[in-house]
Amino acid sequence: MSKQSFTVLGKDTQRQDGTAKVTGREKYSSDLVLPNMLHARILKSPYPHARITSIDVSKVNTDVVTTLVPEEIPDIVFCPRLVSVPSSTYKDWKVLSDKPRYVGEAVAAVAAETEEEAQTALEKITVEYDQYSAVFDAKESMKEGAFPIHTEIELADEVIKVDNNIACSLDVEEGDTEKGFLECDHIIEHTYRTNRRYHTQMETKSVLVRPEADGGVTVWSTTQTLHNTRILLHEVFGIPMGKIRVIKVPLGGSFGSSIQVNPPTLIAVALALKAQRPVRLSYTREEDLHAHCSYQMIFNLKLGAMADGTLHAGHLDAWLDIGGHQIQAYPLLGCVVGWWVSLYKLSHKSYHGKAVYTNKVPSCAFRGYGNPQITWVVETMMDELAHKVGMDPVDFRLKNYIGEGDLFWGQGPSVKSIIESCGVEEILTTGAQLSGWYDRPKAENQTGRFRTGIGMGRGYHTSSAGAPVPGSVVDFGGAMLKLNEDGTFDYVSALMDHGGGTMDANAKIIAEEMNVPHYMVNIVDADTGTTVYDVCTHASRGIYSGGGAALKVAGQVKEKIRQAAARSLDAYSHALRFKWSEKQQQAIVYAPGIEGSQITLKDLANEMRYKNLGTIAAIDSYRQPSCPPHFTGYFVEVEIDTWSGQVRLVKVIAGADIGTVINPKLAMGQIHGGFSQGWSMTVNEDTPYDIESGDLLNHGFMADYKIPTPLDMPDLEAFHVFFADTYEPTGPFGAKGIGEGALNPVAGAIANAIQNAIGAQFFELPITKDKILAALREKEE
Amino acid sequence: MTNINKFNTHIISKPFTYHQPETVEEAVNLLHKQSEVKILAGGTDLIPKMKQRLFNPKHIINLKKIPSLKGIKETERGIWIGATTKLRDIEKSKLVKEKIPLQYQCVKTIGSVQIRNMGTLGGNVCNASPAADGALGLIALNATIHITGINGERDVAVEDFFRGPGESVLGKDELVTGFTVPAPEEATGFHFISIGRMALDISTISVAVTVTLREGEVSDSRICLGSVAPVPLRLKKVEGYLMGKELRVDVITEAAERVSAGIKPIDDLRASAEYRREAAKGLMMEALYMAKRKAEAN
Repeated sequence: MSKQSFTVLGKDTQRQDGTAKVTGREKYSSDLVLPNMLHARILKSPYPHARITSIDVSKVNTDVVTTLVPEEIPDIVFCPRLVSVPSSTYKDWKVLSDKPRYVGEAVAAVAAETEEEAQTALEKITVEYDQYSAVFDAKESMKEGAFPIHTEIELADEVIKVDNNIACSLDVEEGDTEKGFLECDHIIEHTYRTNRRYHTQMETKSVLVRPEADGGVTVWSTTQTLHNTRILLHEVFGIPMGKIRVIKVPLGGSFGSSIQVNPPTLIAVALALKAQRPVRLSYTREEDLHAHCSYQMIFNLKLGAMADGTLHAGHLDAWLDIGGHQIQAYPLLGCVVGWWVSLYKLSHKSYHGKAVYTNKVPSCAFRGYGNPQITWVVETMMDELAHKVGMDPVDFRLKNYIGEGDLFWGQGPSVKSIIESCGVEEILTTGAQLSGWYDRPKAENQTGRFRTGIGMGRGYHTSSAGAPVPGSVVDFGGAMLKLNEDGTFDYVSALMDHGGGTMDANAKIIAEEMNVPHYMVNIVDADTGTTVYDVCTHASRGIYSGGGAALKVAGQVKEKIRQAAARSLDAYSHALRFKWSEKQQQAIVYAPGIEGSQITLKDLANEMRYKNLGTIAAIDSYRQPSCPPHFTGYFVEVEIDTWSGQVRLVKVIAGADIGTVINPKLAMGQIHGGFSQGWSMTVNEDTPYDIESGDLLNHGFMADYKIPTPLDMPDLEAFHVFFADTYEPTGPFGAKGIGEGALNPVAGAIANAIQNAIGAQFFELPITKDKILAALREKEE
Repeated sequence: MTNINKFNTHIISKPFTYHQPETVEEAVNLLHKQSEVKILAGGTDLIPKMKQRLFNPKHIINLKKIPSLKGIKETERGIWIGATTKLRDIEKSKLVKEKIPLQYQCVKTIGSVQIRNMGTLGGNVCNASPAADGALGLIALNATIHITGINGERDVAVEDFFRGPGESVLGKDELVTGFTVPAPEEATGFHFISIGRMALDISTISVAVTVTLREGEVSDSRICLGSVAPVPLRLKKVEGYLMGKELRVDVITEAAERVSAGIKPIDDLRASAEYRREAAKGLMMEALYMAKRKAEAN
């Protein structure tokens, strides 16, 4: 497909929610208030592994306080994430646990007139526990004699046994790896360990629930999925789905932490049903830090290349520390191998993945869903292997990358498609040129206090989890579009904007199709009753999949407009054209060359109203045929202070292939944000545990969980972003995603820059100043 | 152990009586009369600690309505800074920047702008954190704390004020009213550096030094480190070593080695003890080089 010129796309436009956001008028779940509303608090397990022997609420004045204990909730075992088919969905959760598996797990709850009263009531509940031994490391957890964290869980409604705390596992082999390695001239093998990061989304998990007179509930919650929230509430509480309304509320960031339905939603529904009054539950920041984090992964990677620099064989062992419960461990095992094998061509490859329970906060998706972790490992090893082969690292990558025309299965073995657009070469060659790559410093030539290094890393993420045939991942969405009586359009969708401007992008796709400016398409608030199913806004699918659905209904509405205008103008529908009149602020449908044969959309809609011909509207579902990778690459220059071990960012060159760019500034914002998170992942963040108490060492306090601010980023002038000139044939107007690809290669690029500066390799994240200083001292000795 | 169910940072769980005196005398009388009292200046340390239930005072005495506790002015003894003067006001003060630029350097990296708009120098010092950068500058500048109690006023050198983390020599019914910072002698150089995990962080380790040179030799110096001991630390032995010496590379390196050997840091979430010992060396070298350069320019 050839490139098109656009009138709306590719230009910076103001977000429709921009004014509300910058003036503080936007209301989030935790801001919402209803008459007669109760405030809820959860009682959390202070132990990392225990069984409750008794809960005594008798000291609470239950005339004014509603209490909730595990046996009051339907005894349903569930998985809070409903994105995969049943055969990939392992269930081990209950709304309140009688066997807490991490410090912070909710075991009881209260609702009272004020937050103060709720807190006082909470402290009057007495819980007796039998404590069990706990384990805080995936490898330790699998050892003989480790206390079982779960014994029985459910898969596709069958009860299955858990052995050695292994939640699930996945083995994949293509070719003959053993033979493949025998054919290699160069082989490298290392073990790597990543950190465990907290999402630090601005808004903590919050929910407001109103019980309805008909037995139903209305829910305003922090979520990435309205429809899956409704399905889960139906599964757990047995309320007919038509009586559950989940209303879209602006989301104060998420980064993947609300793909699953967060515990507060289920707890607040149970409280509201019992109290028969509205209940709001909003986590404190400390509770939120005890509620979700990224997956810590241990990898053993072995890669082999031929003498000419052709990658040939690879083997990956992966151990995923999932914490106390499964959210999406099995699908993740598939993605980890998918991310890995879709970076570079390997004739022979094999993989053993294990997801392991530990007594820690349950891990969940965090921007990139395992991709930043494995890409750090692969990109670090690619530099080392390039050195061994005797090739420049950029040239080595250009020789081996998976690109246009290649088979691609980033989202795991069941989600395969062919790549139809690829900007890798442009990203790498432009990046190399802009960063001065081929003249980069060498560690061995540097002395003195400050050492500089340039490193690069490349990667990608899938735009959605679509494919030509169904796999184990559910991925489709939908949209509704109608023409209003003033010539504007209402766009309704269950998609969630996490803050990146997804909904605005899709409104612009509609505007482009309709030949109107972006402000003629209104983004209308929605809920489960007014939208068709959309799986979840995750997997960087908002524009590719959500925009695909928007474009599909826009096409249908456009055709209906043609039909109606043809009738009105006495013209042939297929001969009619659309144009925008700046003066009238109206789109006009006209028959070319025929004087007077034209009508504005406003007049058309009103004519139809007066003649009782109905509303022009379309509603439909859309399944995208692929999940095209959006490619990214970073060239990062750092300066290391050998006196303090501090790494300073000097310059960042970022290239991204996202197909058609819809909103350049917002897309660049994604890249800046992704880089910032990746920078912090590389040198800063972690959530270590105190194995004595079983709690997080920082107890959930942000004073000891730092993330970067603008002060830690390079100056804007030193952060250069460019977009590759590509067009994705299967995407809406050629567009792909960006959210996750913006982060995935960052850690590899920075780690390689550090290695370039001081000649030391690191196999554990984060690469803190402590580790850098220790490595420098070791080199000296 | 922190009980995970015993705090809720949305609220201050325990009720308290709020007092708002308008004079120092009134405030001191309240301190004398009431027990389980906490003083509120900027609140940036107090309020989080109350929310976390680390402090559960029955009485809160707000000092913000006492005009005499606020301000920056030049006196015969030096620069006077009122206890409830906002850190941001100190950062923006021309007087501070000109006369005691080290204090400006120390204050301007505390927290964020938002925090400096709330926090006060008195609070920074009275909180008695070993990581208090504001206190570090005052020690290096040989400042005095002015204290008013029920039995009258007294002055204490800032370096003698601290007893341990969160502990000071301040009596139960005493109030810090302000600080006097003597203007440094001529040919005095200074420097402050701190390292954090990210820019907005409590110091992992910090260093403040002043060096006075006479005919190229050190005639006076003060070497202070934060976050390496239970209190902000002054290393008199290193100062003694520097006395009468030219600040040559070998002298600076030796002083840095002695600093590293002279501190007893601990492991915490911010860094390991080993790191602090290593980084102290580098920080001290940089601080002494910079102080020397400034001393030579003055």
